[in-house]
Amino acid sequence: MNNYDIIIIGAGINGLTTASILGKKGKRVLVLESREKVGGMASSMEFAPGFKCNVINDTIKWIDPRLIKLLDLNAKGLELVQPEILRIILGENSEHIAFHKDVAKTIDSIAKYSIIDSERWKDFISYIEKLSQFLEKIYELTPPILPKIGIKEILGMRSMLSPIRKHGTRGIVDLLRVAPMMMPELVDEWFENELLRSSISTAGIHHLSFGPYAAGTGYNLLHQHVHGNGLFHNIQFAKGGTERFAIVLKDYAESFNVEIQTSTKVISINTDQNVCNGISLENGEQIMAKQIVSSLDPNNTFLNLVGPSNLTPNFRKQINNIRYRGSTARIHFALSSLPEVKGVTKEQMKTIFSISPSVEYLERASDAVKYGKLSDKPYVEFVIPSVLDSNFAPEGEHVLSATIQYAPYHLRNTEWSDSVKDQLKNNVVDTLQKVIPNIRSIIKHTSIISPLDLENEFGLTEGNLNHGEMTLDQFMFMRPTISSSQYRAPINNLYLCGSGTHPGGGLHGTNGYNAAMEVLKD
Amino acid sequence: MSKIKKYDAIVIGGGHNGLTAAAYLGRAGKKVLVLERRHVLGGAAVTEEIFPGFKFSVCSYVVSLMKSNVMRELMLPKFGLEILPLESTMTPLENDYLIRTADSDQTYREIARHSKKDAENYMRFGPAMGQIGMAVRPILETIAPNPIRPSFSDLSATKRLFDHVKSLSSKQFEYLTKLMTMSSADFLDEWFDYEPLKATLSASGIIGTFMGPYSPGSAYVMLHHYMGDIDGAFRAWGFQRGGTGGVSMAIARSAEYFGVEIMTETSVQNVIVKNGRATGVSLDNGDEYNSNIVISGLDPKLTFLKMIDKSDLPSDFVSAIKNFRIRGSSGKVNLALDALPNFTCMSGDGHHLRGAISISPSYDHLEKAYDDAKYGNFSEAPFMDIILPSVLDPDMAPPGKHVMSCFVQYAPYDINEGWNDQKREAFGDAVINTISRYAPNIKDIILHRQVLTPADLESTFGLTEGNIFHGELTLQQLFSLRPAVKWADYTTPIKNYFQCGSGTHPGGGITGSPGEMAAKKILGAW
Amino acid sequence: MSYKNKFTAHTQLKMSPFFERTSKLNESQEWRRWAGYLAATSYELTHENEYFAIRTKAGLLDITPLKKYIVKGPESQRLLDQLVTRNIAICKVGQVMYTPWCDEHGKVIDDGTVQRLSENKFRITSAEPNLEWIQSNAVGMDVIVKDDSFTTAALALQGPNSRAILNSISSKTLDSLKFFWMMETTFDNIPVSISRTGYTGDLGYEIWMNPNDALTVWDLLIDKGKPFGITPTGLHALDVARIEAGLILLDVDYISSRHAIIESRKSSPYELGLGWTVKMKKANFIGKSSLLKELDRGSRWSYVGVEIEWTEFEKHYRDVGLAPGLPHTAWRTSTPLYFQNEQVGYATSGTWSPLLKRYIALAHLKSKYAKEGSELMFELKVEHFRKLTKATVVKTPFFDPERKRSCPK
Repeated sequence: MNNYDIIIIGAGINGLTTASILGKKGKRVLVLESREKVGGMASSMEFAPGFKCNVINDTIKWIDPRLIKLLDLNAKGLELVQPEILRIILGENSEHIAFHKDVAKTIDSIAKYSIIDSERWKDFISYIEKLSQFLEKIYELTPPILPKIGIKEILGMRSMLSPIRKHGTRGIVDLLRVAPMMMPELVDEWFENELLRSSISTAGIHHLSFGPYAAGTGYNLLHQHVHGNGLFHNIQFAKGGTERFAIVLKDYAESFNVEIQTSTKVISINTDQNVCNGISLENGEQIMAKQIVSSLDPNNTFLNLVGPSNLTPNFRKQINNIRYRGSTARIHFALSSLPEVKGVTKEQMKTIFSISPSVEYLERASDAVKYGKLSDKPYVEFVIPSVLDSNFAPEGEHVLSATIQYAPYHLRNTEWSDSVKDQLKNNVVDTLQKVIPNIRSIIKHTSIISPLDLENEFGLTEGNLNHGEMTLDQFMFMRPTISSSQYRAPINNLYLCGSGTHPGGGLHGTNGYNAAMEVLKD
Repeated sequence: MSKIKKYDAIVIGGGHNGLTAAAYLGRAGKKVLVLERRHVLGGAAVTEEIFPGFKFSVCSYVVSLMKSNVMRELMLPKFGLEILPLESTMTPLENDYLIRTADSDQTYREIARHSKKDAENYMRFGPAMGQIGMAVRPILETIAPNPIRPSFSDLSATKRLFDHVKSLSSKQFEYLTKLMTMSSADFLDEWFDYEPLKATLSASGIIGTFMGPYSPGSAYVMLHHYMGDIDGAFRAWGFQRGGTGGVSMAIARSAEYFGVEIMTETSVQNVIVKNGRATGVSLDNGDEYNSNIVISGLDPKLTFLKMIDKSDLPSDFVSAIKNFRIRGSSGKVNLALDALPNFTCMSGDGHHLRGAISISPSYDHLEKAYDDAKYGNFSEAPFMDIILPSVLDPDMAPPGKHVMSCFVQYAPYDINEGWNDQKREAFGDAVINTISRYAPNIKDIILHRQVLTPADLESTFGLTEGNIFHGELTLQQLFSLRPAVKWADYTTPIKNYFQCGSGTHPGGGITGSPGEMAAKKILGAW
Repeated sequence: MSYKNKFTAHTQLKMSPFFERTSKLNESQEWRRWAGYLAATSYELTHENEYFAIRTKAGLLDITPLKKYIVKGPESQRLLDQLVTRNIAICKVGQVMYTPWCDEHGKVIDDGTVQRLSENKFRITSAEPNLEWIQSNAVGMDVIVKDDSFTTAALALQGPNSRAILNSISSKTLDSLKFFWMMETTFDNIPVSISRTGYTGDLGYEIWMNPNDALTVWDLLIDKGKPFGITPTGLHALDVARIEAGLILLDVDYISSRHAIIESRKSSPYELGLGWTVKMKKANFIGKSSLLKELDRGSRWSYVGVEIEWTEFEKHYRDVGLAPGLPHTAWRTSTPLYFQNEQVGYATSGTWSPLLKRYIALAHLKSKYAKEGSELMFELKVEHFRKLTKATVVKTPFFDPERKRSCPK
């Protein structure tokens, strides 16, 4: 039996990030992954013969700059490409707004619909950039233990001074104003054109179970735009697919003798008198280590692996109260030819599309969650990865990967089944048809991933892609709970590094980075 | 310019906050004039005899949040403040009911009838919310500091609040954070299972706001309703004898006792500003009154966008006020009844009619009502908070007859195609139809009905969009941000012009708090 | 207009299944509310006879309002060991254990008894509703927790003659039933369980039965008990007896940590004189880590017996020309205790013990002042004026007869 300093459960981006950093510091690290390959939510798969897709995330929005620097990711073979067109928002007819890398072009695109709005665009994106700069600094912190905050914690937050110096306390006030806002409140202050208003609103509801009329969508919007210079400006495609990020991290970790075992399922985290001392595998093997780091979500970590009776009643209650409510589904279509998107040229296809004619359209889609139904007219975002990388589909054929909101994990009076999935697919194809009239005739295969599939395949509780909703009540010192927000479980020697910790979901590695720093402290 | 008379202070609007501010200034020896546009005092807290013999608390209908020091300092009981307790809250259901009474053991047994777990949790819920209410109290009682260019007193207020927050337990802090950010439904789901109980509790999270129980932020509104106390008992609701106008009248009598002059049917056209300084007001009839300071009890939009010429205000301030969200979402239906309503679930007369009756059988009921409003319609089956004032105070109606007050949500101000007489009546019908599901005799006993839409509330009471709180109680419109950053301490960009309405910290409800704190701020600087 | 025909039976004050009898016997018509039931305060116009029944004959009390829960299933022992401070693993079938249970900070939530009915079935009794707490801690365990409060009726028969009465009715003899053990038997073919437990500190039993059998059992006891002086007894008499026995009462002597609102109202088992129930040797239980720390550091508070010294007490009354004013019934108002000029604690229950002829009380004291023999001052109101009178810390129970534990030879 080997003895390790640290065992990391789960080889997603955060697990691998923590492993890389700890490995580099000379620790003996073992990473255990239940799936047969690493990457977690940054995985690819062949869903039909010759057709590949990014299972969950088509793009990478931001990667923690500290991680890029520390691991020198770019030199290690991670090539991120920012498309010329960042995003195209489609209305119900062929109207659309294209957001370009070149702001001037975006302004032109907006001006087609509203001159006033186009004139405000630059101010708006620098406003968002300003607010996200505050958030960036907050994200790099380990949340303080509140409310008992002392001098040490205040000094620990001194990095907040640099954005304050730049933008004044006004910046913080603006952040405090915008974060709790709902999308209509934010866009009311800036824009009149409905298509533009809904474009912005899509960022507020990304991967959320709430609609744009929910307070706090302002925060979700900002979360998407950390380390970006304005709205939508941080979207990047990884050359070779999103999983490249995971592979680069894995190679890096292994170069520091980190041992990574795939197809190895951990079935329990073992504790004795509130001290964590190792894990047990499905095959009955037990492995001891000084420190255990879980990159799984809090539900899996605590209720499934540690076990409810090893938690204090209060902590167990806090864990039970974390809201997941996955409401996002994915559908990958194998297509016999390049789809024709109304009003969009072939050259413009290397982007993300979203179908969001109005804020009300998005809100109506979200109403379904409350009543445990599928949206009749869902919000659909799609990418055609095969135009970015020809390896994704056979010659002349294509892949369309759609992200769908809302497809709630909790359905009323029914459960996820093939017929529900068919209904979902029909709703999505109906929606796509409005912008891709020939879509039905070119579909060869379909792969539908429901929130339940996400739970079963990726161990995402309730299919939530963020390991817990990205809402203000689950932010910072409340993430995952008020008593475990410093990357430490209330069980000695057990740490958390997954998206369920501060600062939440996304392929950025900040959770893993911050967690590694805490592990090293002890 | 026919009349020139000089006052220390002029208060625009004889609502309860304006009167409170006036009374405090009068108490400090200032010469104060209150100008009220309507023929009655009280603003949204008025009693009117709408139909002969039937008196109504036309708009605001219950009292709980009135600050006890205001009652004491203004000697309100001496001037007619008499608050009768509302003993229970009943939620009628199709075949059953849920009732919470003044006796905690009985309430335990009643909830246990539906869920034992909920009954046990309910015994802890009230005290827990009371604790949070207490934790929030010092924040509410602090004049909101200016975070942009803090003065010494702003800094010391901030320090005091910081120390206060540090003194909270982790549990309190956790609840507080959750209450500030969550939806009332999500917050209550952490405590309870039984749907009618959760829905009824969540209803206080939607009253007066344009949110549904599933809307994040509604938990704070729920907390706002938990901050009241009568005689030291948290979460006690009461009915002013003679109607809510009695509260305003008590404050008015108190103000007059302190030498305040009050004029009704006197409509202010605008505030006179000279060199960035308020010097008085001019009336619709052309009269002018001069004073050292002017205080507005109106909502922020009227206070700044109507009363002041835009050119006198900084442009970023004007846009901040324009961006201040005031959304009308509620209506009021006042009924004159020939007899008592007969509820199917608990028939006949009884104690249950002495309390509130809440039409909130499920989250779905409330949320669907909200969905209707969200898309520009009044709720087909609305949420209602009903009381029968004449059961508590027989003087409200002729002998044997009754008055019924129905607070209704939702009725959006921005209704599709706009409000008109037909829409108003249709709205009234929706209300009556919903009540008749639970009390089938209602249609037969109605003698008169008054339906107030948000548009009516606006035109009658001067409430922008008919919003009863002078602005949504959302996180970004509280404390130092209410109504706008830098100007949350009752001052305004115009020198000698102050604000004291519910659109300022700590917000709406019959609290007297904005009026009191504004007066204290003014007197502190005098 | 009354609640009666408006509210469902569940919502009204409940009547115990013995109410048909007890209501007719209650001469004083004095009732108290106990856990939503009407319970007799005293049956006669004064409670003295009932008190002496407990100490010299046999008092019969309706204790149906107690909360009762059944825990069963393969992991029921594990759940209970997590939940309570005593070691349930060593509790044999037929044995009963008195124990408190704590929150995770080691503060007492409630106290009661755990009866092991079979290998995998237990009954818990408690003062307040605890279903939610037990159920929430059973998450993930193979157990069923069910509320047994309305499905089991209970009587307490307490006093030196109680064994003889039961022996005259029961199909099996109780002679070998040891203190804090229980047995199954029948009364005229009616199945009942009898535990040798009680709240009086005397020889006594508690009888658990199906509510449908309640009246028959009551009648049998009254009938057969008559020659032995059986006496229906109310809560006033019980209160005196339980203070003499040094037994604590929730919401009087301490507040459940789940309802305490503020920290200072909460008490650990050590602070309630229940240190003996905390079994640190068992693997883990809720509150253990906090209690270990407390054990290490010492408890801030102690719970002790206090005796108010007679001579000085009498003198205070003599000084104003009155005979000593002893309380008629047990009192429950918190009363300050001083050491010199500093308040160092407070008594929460007190009574004149008619049997011991001593004025006794139960009190929370700062540990420093809680040593046996410590001399304190007890606050007293004599003719509207406050006085301080001497009181001494003494051992509890104040009354502890041999018969409580012994079995006939």
